Amino acid sequence: MSYKIPMGPYHPALEEPYKLDLICTGETVTDAKLHIGFNFRGIEHLAETRNYIQVIALMERVCGICSNIHTLTLCQAMEGLTALTPPPRAQYIRVVMAELERLHSHVLWAGIAAKLMGFKTMFMTCFELREKVMDILQAISGNRVNYSMNRVGGVNRDIDDPQAVLKMIDALEAEMLRTVIPIFTTSSTARSRCAGIGVLTHAKAISCGVVGPVARASGVGQDIRKAAPYAAYGEMEFDVPVQPDGDVKARLLVRALEIMESCKILRQALSKLPPGELFVGDGKFDFTKMVTTTSTSRVEAPRGEVMYSVSWKEGSRNPARVHVRTPTFAVMPAIRWMVLGARLADTPLIQASIDPCYSCTDR
Amino acid sequence: MNMTTALARLLIFPGLLFAIPGAWFILWVERKAVALMQGRIGPPFMQPFFDFIKLLGKDTPPREGIGGMLMKAWPLIAVSAAAGAVGLLPVLPSSGGFEGDLILLLALLEVPSMCIIAAGFSSRSIFGEIGSAREAVLSVSYNIVFLLAILSIAASQHTFSLETLAQLPASPLRWLGVLALLICLPAKLHLNPFSLPNAEQEIYSGPMTEYAGPELAMWELSHGLEWVAATGLVATLAAPHVTFGWLAILIFVAFSFGIVLMLSAVASATARLAIDTTVRFYWQVTLIFAVLAISSALFMRFRS
Repeated sequence: MSYKIPMGPYHPALEEPYKLDLICTGETVTDAKLHIGFNFRGIEHLAETRNYIQVIALMERVCGICSNIHTLTLCQAMEGLTALTPPPRAQYIRVVMAELERLHSHVLWAGIAAKLMGFKTMFMTCFELREKVMDILQAISGNRVNYSMNRVGGVNRDIDDPQAVLKMIDALEAEMLRTVIPIFTTSSTARSRCAGIGVLTHAKAISCGVVGPVARASGVGQDIRKAAPYAAYGEMEFDVPVQPDGDVKARLLVRALEIMESCKILRQALSKLPPGELFVGDGKFDFTKMVTTTSTSRVEAPRGEVMYSVSWKEGSRNPARVHVRTPTFAVMPAIRWMVLGARLADTPLIQASIDPCYSCTDR
Repeated sequence: MNMTTALARLLIFPGLLFAIPGAWFILWVERKAVALMQGRIGPPFMQPFFDFIKLLGKDTPPREGIGGMLMKAWPLIAVSAAAGAVGLLPVLPSSGGFEGDLILLLALLEVPSMCIIAAGFSSRSIFGEIGSAREAVLSVSYNIVFLLAILSIAASQHTFSLETLAQLPASPLRWLGVLALLICLPAKLHLNPFSLPNAEQEIYSGPMTEYAGPELAMWELSHGLEWVAATGLVATLAAPHVTFGWLAILIFVAFSFGIVLMLSAVASATARLAIDTTVRFYWQVTLIFAVLAISSALFMRFRS
């Protein structure tokens, strides 16, 4: 006998509203239907009613976890419109912020994954670590969620004391190596819940067009930071972790390794921070002199590739269109293939293993 | 045991009057211990009592027909059975008891679990039904080990009387039995890593999903009483026997407390296992203890 179990839009396993209708036979999932759009706020339309500077503040609020990535991509797209190049110090500070945000996002995800495995102690450990990352972000920007660091042509705030931040990062890395990473890679209950479930094969990953850590866990070695370096990523040395298995354990491992790579990048960026200006120009944005009508920018967010496309409207203070494409939107259709044949008990963990962000997706 | 002492044991000590605050205390210890291990503050001392009173004061939507009546009845049956089980525990030395009360205790301990299964199906909620199915599978798995452990203890010491078992010196086989009982307790009390029937992230609270108000309060109470009865059973079998009344109670409480702390530590150090892993775990453990129990029973029979 098959029956339908609705997961969501409000469910203890989901951080944000979306709906997965699971058709089950016994404890096995035989089909799944995905519904999104419960969190639509019309931000892209709102962006058309704001001027270029106000749009930055607006887009910072698309997502609470990767708020910096959204403004970074938007500012890069707008810099493309006006042919501005941020000074080197700004580029480095952007890298530092982006990597700290990746750390914060991955640790948060690890906590959520632990909670979905019923491992609440691990959840608390992860969230304590996340608190420390947020302390660093607060020490740099003065904010814990919306950092408002980016502006067109540079950044708003300087990192006055890179050595102090470096010390915090050393402490953080030691803590990660001591707790989160060994527990996720060696704990037997965690392994029994992760290995071999929610498999997305290499071929399926390519045909679904998944991005970010999900793609890298299925053996697709793509990372915008390497493939099309932005900000100061071209000057950083780091590896892109790739795992071939495509199961939840591989996704866990990819993110755990990315945490270590992020620490590596942070250490390089902070120790090589070049002197100089924080932004170009006098802080004014001349919307009458555009070099092109549409500019796009791509950035590797914690969840994968984010793309912004900004179109100029002649004689207007507002952009004609700000288009956003978020990684979760690209990865979501793959959930259906991951849960087919899975146990019902594993579905919350499988859907969470893509690190979904509906706030970004629905906007 | 005559009628008066039986009633006194059921209603006063170690029955309801003692067991209900005991249940709240154990629930608090478990929640507080887990919280401290997870780096949280945890609930205040009176919280389980407050929860109970608050739930009692709530109205529940009326349910009609047999289903509604059954949903009201299951928690009451569960509480009565669990209280009866606690009442049988020989906390005070030479407090009575009868040959075979161990079997009655096991039967009464099983009733709340069956009530939970029935309640999930009566509620007609999909989450309740899945939770009940999981509880049923789990109960079939761990009960084999649980019953065989008790059987091996009883067979090795020639008695089904709790009082006599508590007084006899422990044999090595009894320690094996106690170990097997401890392995079963997390599943019996729905703790990690066997907290499948109420896996919040998958099926909300499973069989309890449709329950609210006083009925939920009764479920909470029966859960607490199950804690007292199950930890009490292990404490009875494991604690050293003393004849002095107050000391016996103290040792009993200390052992129960230790078992609660141990179970909380296991619960906070593990992730939830999936149903097939759980079943495999219990059936593998079963095999060892089945052989031990049967061989010990045969051995004792030949010797006597």
